[in-house]
Amino acid sequence: MITEFLAMNGYGLYVWLSFGLVFISCVVFYLKTKKTLRKYESDFLSELHNLSVKEKSKALENSKIAQQILATNSKMN
Amino acid sequence: MFKLFSTSNIYFLIQKLINFINSIFFLILIIGLTFALVLSPPDYIQGDSVRIMYVHVPAAWLGLACFAFITFLSILNFIFKIRNFYFINKSIAPIGLLFTCLAIITGSLWGQPTWGTWWAWDARLTSMFVLMLFYIFYILAFKLLNGEELIVKVSSIIAIIGSINLPIIKYSVEWWTTLHQPASIKIVGPSSVHPSMLLPLLVMLLVFLLYGALIFLMKYKTEIIRIKKKNIKRI
Repeated sequence: MITEFLAMNGYGLYVWLSFGLVFISCVVFYLKTKKTLRKYESDFLSELHNLSVKEKSKALENSKIAQQILATNSKMN
Repeated sequence: MFKLFSTSNIYFLIQKLINFINSIFFLILIIGLTFALVLSPPDYIQGDSVRIMYVHVPAAWLGLACFAFITFLSILNFIFKIRNFYFINKSIAPIGLLFTCLAIITGSLWGQPTWGTWWAWDARLTSMFVLMLFYIFYILAFKLLNGEELIVKVSSIIAIIGSINLPIIKYSVEWWTTLHQPASIKIVGPSSVHPSMLLPLLVMLLVFLLYGALIFLMKYKTEIIRIKKKNIKRI
């Protein structure tokens, strides 16, 4: 029954290749996008850490986004 | 009202939407794949090769829709100079390119058992190939050019010229004799696809839509962080 399902009446190669290619491309693209996002988040944090204490606390006070990135990063670590 | 559209509010909304999509995506994906690969019937002529439709058609529709949306925002940005549209377009274009490439590849894999050939330079296939080239030029404009103003100008021109191709893709199967079959699903008028195939197709369309939205939101979030990083001392 499983062999029949995989064979798809002779069209298995085309059907599975189509679904497989779509799946793999989408997963790779998702992982690449996620990696870039993480890279920008960590770059942002290192810029934030390079600021003087006064500038850093001002940035954290004024920017909800900076707070959010910092919070997300601490959760992941 | 304007405060509602502030960058930080958009950022929080993006985060909420990403979490929401992540929470429902796999369930809908499993439902879609079960319908597409198991529950939907084989076609009386094409047999099981018709299942390729469930990935080919949503990819092609979204490839076209992304370019139409990019053109619409490019025109608005050209006239009203709304900076956010620039970032939205930059985030959508790679998704559109991915879907267009997938539509071409899966179309080729469907063409071999159905038409007996992987590729033919007929009107529909060629116009889809041209759309892929326009996506590549559009993305290259962002990668190779310097200066936001120049990028906006060049990318908008590419999008507007490329949009001429959209009705050609849509009506190519009616204007010329092509290997590709005419549209079976119409927005206005009855659809010739049986509900047992239409339902899986719509579920798979939802899967592709959610995936596209997820990638768009992640890319848009990256753009916001990039801008914030640039102006970190001015925060």
